[in-house]
Amino acid sequence: MSRLVGTVALLLLSLNSNISTARPVSYTGGVTLIEESDRQSTSLLVHFTPAHQWSIGLRGEHNRDQDYALYTLHPTWLAKRWFGANHQGNLYLHGGVGVATGVNGNPLGEDIAAHGGVMADWETRSLFASYRSRYLDAGHFGAQFVHAARAGFAPYIGKTGDLHTWLMLEIDHRPSERISMTATPLIRFFKGPVLLELGYTFSVNQPLINFTYRL
Amino acid sequence: MKPLFLISVMTLNLLITPTAVSENIGHSDAHSHQDVSANESDSSHDVHHHQSHSVHPVESESDATEPDGQATLTRTDEIDRALAAGGAPIVADVLGVVCDFCAIAMNKIFGDQPEVAAVYVDLDTKALSLVLSPSSSLSDAAIADLAVQAGYRIAAIRRDEAALGVAL
Repeated sequence: MSRLVGTVALLLLSLNSNISTARPVSYTGGVTLIEESDRQSTSLLVHFTPAHQWSIGLRGEHNRDQDYALYTLHPTWLAKRWFGANHQGNLYLHGGVGVATGVNGNPLGEDIAAHGGVMADWETRSLFASYRSRYLDAGHFGAQFVHAARAGFAPYIGKTGDLHTWLMLEIDHRPSERISMTATPLIRFFKGPVLLELGYTFSVNQPLINFTYRL
Repeated sequence: MKPLFLISVMTLNLLITPTAVSENIGHSDAHSHQDVSANESDSSHDVHHHQSHSVHPVESESDATEPDGQATLTRTDEIDRALAAGGAPIVADVLGVVCDFCAIAMNKIFGDQPEVAAVYVDLDTKALSLVLSPSSSLSDAAIADLAVQAGYRIAAIRRDEAALGVAL
């Protein structure tokens, strides 16, 4: 059974540490699909928002560098939202518990995995800044801390339903990696329920591809 | 990878097509006043309700705001149809509306209400435009609660002539 689940999840992830960056809590009753792919891993999170301050999701993640996959139950709590006439700020706490399992011939088998972290963002219609972090303990697959900060701006301001475009720069720091700090310029397209981010981490020659669909 | 990236960027930029319809149907010369000037409103739960008392139609404007900056009903085909059917207009100033996900959340939550015949969130005016079904009502408290369910907060509510931007 776990092999079947793993195969399905890896197929879904076949597109690329990974912390959901685009509104991890939706409106009450909302469902969101988030795919994220960065220099090290690819993840897929499907979450449901039972109440406006928290969401619960199922997450699959493939660590391409270390050949293991994570399958976790992933709750996110909107700890605080700051409202303004022209801005919004958010502070989220997120976590997850599940299993890590070797893939692509990794002989390490399975182990219990857990992760947790914080995420904060602030945006207007033309400026954006965010910070996110995650500590992952994947049992005998190892532990990892990742944190990243982002800043961006919109070169034009679109109306409701238009295609919105953002230019952003993300700096991420992974102390356990050989190249611990990288910079990723990216472009975000946002139209209706769809958000797509395309970027490239030149120092490690890896693409960033993030996709979000909000039902 | 790089060519694919550049092609994607150029293709998506070609899709930029303004689509929103924002049209005001009049001016108010007896403006109601609201207190949205408190930019940091995370500690404020007050909802201000304003309503003017008579109608003097005047010429259209290109955006859904009054001269004093108050948002009025944003006109879409759906909203016009609901108004023509006799629905009551409501405009609510919403705090924290900065992107289309915000608009989707408000559209979903309010659009699911049987009392609501039409809904539109205008990112330019940060206003939620509602038209109720004929003979339906929706209290200020209910609107505020629905906004919370969507993840947002209401700063002020205007109804009827004040929502349309027409007055004495």
